Amino acid sequence: MAGIQSLKIGVSGVRGVVGQSLTPQLVVGFAEAFGTYLDGGVVVIGRDPRPSGEMILNALVGGLLSTGCSVIDIGVCPTPTMQHAVVDLGADGGIAVTASHHPAAWNALKFCREDGIFLNQHQAEELLNVYHQGAFVQRPHDALGRMGHDEGAINRHLTKVLYSADLDAISSLAPKVVIDSVNGAGADCAEGLLQKMGCEVIAINDVPNGRFPREPEPIAENLGQLCEAVREHGADLGLAQDADGDRLAIVSEEGEAIGEEYTLAFACDVMAETRKGPLVTNLSTSRMIDEVGERHGCEVVRSKVGEVNVVETMLAVDAIGGGEGNGGVIDPNLHYCRDNLAAMALILGGMARRGITITEWKRTFRPSAIVKEKLPCSAGMIGRAILALQRHYEGQTLDLTEGVKAFFDGDAWVHARPSNTEPIIRVVAEADDHATARWLADEAVQVAAQAIEG
Amino acid sequence: MSSLSAEASRPLKITIGGVRGVVGETLTPDLLVNFSQAFGTWVGGGRVLISRDTRPSGRMVAHCVTSGLIATGCEVVDLGICPTAALQLAVRQSEAVGGIAITAGHNNARWNALKFCRDDGIYLNPRQAQELLNVYHQREFAKAPWNKLAPVGRDDAAGERHLEAVREQLDVDAIRAAGLKIAVDCTNGACSRFTPRFLADLGCEVVAINDDPELPFPHEPRPTPPNLSQLRALVSAAEADAGFAHDADGDRLGIVTEAGEAPGEEYTLCLAAEMVLGRGDPGPVVTNLSTSMAVEDVASKYGREVIRTGVGQVFISEAAVDHGAAIAGEGSGGIVFPRINYAHDSIAALGHIVNLMAERDRPISELIAEIPRYTIVKREVVCPPQRAYSALEELRRGIDAPWVTETNLDDGVKLIGEDRWVHIRVSMTEPRIRVIAEAAAEGLAIDLAEEYVRRANRLL
Repeated sequence: MAGIQSLKIGVSGVRGVVGQSLTPQLVVGFAEAFGTYLDGGVVVIGRDPRPSGEMILNALVGGLLSTGCSVIDIGVCPTPTMQHAVVDLGADGGIAVTASHHPAAWNALKFCREDGIFLNQHQAEELLNVYHQGAFVQRPHDALGRMGHDEGAINRHLTKVLYSADLDAISSLAPKVVIDSVNGAGADCAEGLLQKMGCEVIAINDVPNGRFPREPEPIAENLGQLCEAVREHGADLGLAQDADGDRLAIVSEEGEAIGEEYTLAFACDVMAETRKGPLVTNLSTSRMIDEVGERHGCEVVRSKVGEVNVVETMLAVDAIGGGEGNGGVIDPNLHYCRDNLAAMALILGGMARRGITITEWKRTFRPSAIVKEKLPCSAGMIGRAILALQRHYEGQTLDLTEGVKAFFDGDAWVHARPSNTEPIIRVVAEADDHATARWLADEAVQVAAQAIEG
Repeated sequence: MSSLSAEASRPLKITIGGVRGVVGETLTPDLLVNFSQAFGTWVGGGRVLISRDTRPSGRMVAHCVTSGLIATGCEVVDLGICPTAALQLAVRQSEAVGGIAITAGHNNARWNALKFCRDDGIYLNPRQAQELLNVYHQREFAKAPWNKLAPVGRDDAAGERHLEAVREQLDVDAIRAAGLKIAVDCTNGACSRFTPRFLADLGCEVVAINDDPELPFPHEPRPTPPNLSQLRALVSAAEADAGFAHDADGDRLGIVTEAGEAPGEEYTLCLAAEMVLGRGDPGPVVTNLSTSMAVEDVASKYGREVIRTGVGQVFISEAAVDHGAAIAGEGSGGIVFPRINYAHDSIAALGHIVNLMAERDRPISELIAEIPRYTIVKREVVCPPQRAYSALEELRRGIDAPWVTETNLDDGVKLIGEDRWVHIRVSMTEPRIRVIAEAAAEGLAIDLAEEYVRRANRLL
């Protein structure tokens, strides 16, 4: 059972537990499938610092070279750095070796196309078909791919972020920042970026060795050490990265983990200051983005959950900014990827220009409480559960783009949808106060559970 | 004709000698990660050294092997491109539990292979190889958890340490004083970066060709006379004292005399033995059943016994250990110097023959002329793998030759007479039956070989 549940092959990539399901055979198979799918060309590979990264990297390189693809290894780096590098190097695709916010025993492959954006659902399905058919391209000995290394990808990425940052404002404020890099991919580069932007930096968990001192997901409950450090050092704010440098969470000057939803709200508040056009986020993200839209007079467009869904909607509507409520900020002026370095630049610049503290900035938003729940649900029961929720919320305003999203008085809402990666239904509810949000989430879970039990 | 059946069989050999296949056809990443995981499982974790020759597929293979070994909990140390003998020495001298050489030796560039060696630097013997194959076929490989995976190490100095180990066995002063001019053809293989420098350090004037590891093999990487025309021309043009040719991974050595002649790789062992026995290294000479009787002549000159084994490097190495041999080797030009290591080592062979030339102060053609001259004829018959052993058995039953005084069945069939012998055996590496015949008279050797090729073809 553990063996079965420890492998996820889906449209968001391949994820498994090292020493169980994520074997060299599986990885070379997917590398050959991706090389076959691309039909040759250059593939950029970046990885987070998990100890299993080198095993997976080697299997990927072997598989890709055999299909005639050449590989540029950019080493340990944030996932957005890899996405930038694909574009910068004119590559034909990229692979991020990272299980992102999942525990250290996991690792995963995320495939990205020549525009530095992850495969969308249709492309991912094509790749899976190639993998399952197993008829991979095999090039003869004199037509194999070549292997190269690029040590410059992180610096190019940092340079772009620095170029976009309001360095005058940030350096004149010179905020004291505690950064918790969870010993992940963002460790060295985040510290360097913050220093270059003129911050006083205190770094914790800043050795990129993949030995995570906390769960790498930057949610409030995992940030106790950071909150304490912010208080201890009297810092202006704390920043928490995940393992692969795409998501960011903020701790206030009071040492409070304000919740990862505020990351996107603040970043969008900043992007909408000077740019004209729509904002894009997913259906499960806080209504604070709608407040930002009202504040700056921009439309907010909602997509299905998943980075590539947000990105493709952003491209379709020519968005000025976007991202996901889990702390993943996308600044299209830099690249269409979730990037916590870009988020740091935006938020520090906005804070400096506003001349306010994190707590004060938080208070510019209407009080909001978000409750996230999940419910195990076998694949066969998902349709039934979603239908029951639709019936239950009949009469409310509904959005049926992905699962069921129901809206209530006082701008409260609940969103229930099947997970893309696990056999569960995810429920997110938001209201002015925690009790209402909790009640809404519990109600949805109960309705779904009853439907599943029959 | 017969080539049809060879093409019809898939170019893959999984044998006790390792795994050998054609890149782009049978030697797939999947096969490679499976075999390396099988090896990692078989050694039970620990440090494993890997090396490769210069084939363009080497990198692809090395990455697959590295991944598979790491996954089983092995610590991989990558020696990069170096002679297989350097890998074997490094394994023996270190705490490593084994090694994998990524090389198809003398096979052409389409091929590549994994050769597995154990903690003493010797290739797996048949029993050990059988165990490895059982692990491979069972497909239940060791899987180390994430926090037991070791980072990959590098060791760029193994090639240099090997040269040093060879140098220590030579009379460097004598070689220096001789001021020899040596031509060398490295076939753009694993010795390219090593041999020219090694010779120069011995005070030789070096004329090197095909010493760029980035370039493809200029000819088949087998140092047999048909592949030595370039070197022969070079020796003549440069008026060198001798020419030497490596194979792709530095286990076999071919010779060209100062007259520009290629006497055949059988002389490599005889000359090296002349050096080693002449300086008084104790012990017998070990060689295989397919090697020239000239070895007996050299050995008896020094009152030594010759021990014959089946064909295969591991048989030579293990017999050399067991019998405390002074020297061991094969007529294919692969020589073992027990004072260095129990590995086939073409750089060591080259060093010892240069040492012999310097010490005896005579042209290499004269040193060769002193060795009784036999004609050895090597033929092969393409044979589908499923027929190899049965055909050999049928052949054996049909034999009734009056000249035969002894029949040896240790490895195929060897018929031995007073003045001639013929050895018919199944190749370990290719779907072929090999026929090797030797006699003092050239016509007799050719007739003998042709006769048994005809017999084999008739059966097939």
